[in-house]
Amino acid sequence: MFIYDKKLEYPVKIHNSNPRLASIIISQYGGPDGEMSASLRYLSQRYAMPYPELEGLLTDIGTEELAHLEIIASIVHQLTRNLTDEQVEQSPFATYFVDHTAGIYPTTASGFPWSAAFIGVKGDVICDLTEDMAAEQKARVTYDNILRLSDDPDVNDVIRFLREREVVHFQRFGEAIALAKERMNQKNVYLTNPAFDQA
Amino acid sequence: MNQERTQQTGCSTDQGTLPSCAPLAVPYVPFQQTGAAKYSAQEALAQGTLFPSLDLPFHLMVDGAEVPKTPLTELQALCFVVTELGLYLDTHKNDQEAFRLFQKYVAMEQTARASYEEQYGPLQQTDAAANECYSWLCEPWPWNGQQEA
Repeated sequence: MFIYDKKLEYPVKIHNSNPRLASIIISQYGGPDGEMSASLRYLSQRYAMPYPELEGLLTDIGTEELAHLEIIASIVHQLTRNLTDEQVEQSPFATYFVDHTAGIYPTTASGFPWSAAFIGVKGDVICDLTEDMAAEQKARVTYDNILRLSDDPDVNDVIRFLREREVVHFQRFGEAIALAKERMNQKNVYLTNPAFDQA
Repeated sequence: MNQERTQQTGCSTDQGTLPSCAPLAVPYVPFQQTGAAKYSAQEALAQGTLFPSLDLPFHLMVDGAEVPKTPLTELQALCFVVTELGLYLDTHKNDQEAFRLFQKYVAMEQTARASYEEQYGPLQQTDAAANECYSWLCEPWPWNGQQEA
């Protein structure tokens, strides 16, 4: 089960409203490589992991991604509170605002709602962990791009933290594949799918 | 950073190891070695990792503000190190040195958590049972950026 801890993993204190930036950063909430995709990908994949260290890693990284989901929502919330009608009108945030006002809705920056089609669960150790490594890289690049598009130091400080987590998670998933290989057929890791085939 | 080469692998402790012979057609990431250099808890939170060797920032990065040292950020830093070491131990379960560090940081986190809650109220719903009244709702929620300390 999950227990809520009433604090963020990393502090978020945004001083200035910025609807333009919010309309970009929302993609890390509900976009293809965002934190909702990340958490649901790992927390769903763990059930088909045949080894305890892999079940553990997917549980623990998936849980950390839920903390990141909350951090992204906090950034968007703080960037869009106390907006005037004029500020909304003159920013690209207007197309989000018309449907969601200043609520937090999982969507890509381009307006496509979050979809389970963003994630993969193949039920195969090597395949799922390879997807996870790619997912961390894609999230890392999205954060790179947010840093290119943002000049707010309060926001960038948090984005920098989240981006670095992607680098560390990539490393751990890579190690997880090495651990999986140790347990699989040394000559042919593809001989069977240990999540499905009886040994 | 620790440039010392380990006798076992010949690689410096901020580098990783690969098998000398390995099956084809599967991805390889170098395995992080034991004994890697580590940041302090506050530095780790600010950098987003405990390990200098994994700290690989983006070149256009605008320098982030230092995380101000408050009771809340001190607790966040300890929790963060526990999270980071937990992930490390998931793939390095036999690293006794890292496990001892994990034990140390979990103990520090528990102490910091108790003293934070005493001053600023419950961090978990059940912690409100220790107070005279239902204090779970008294402090602002974390996404508002208005938490004390």
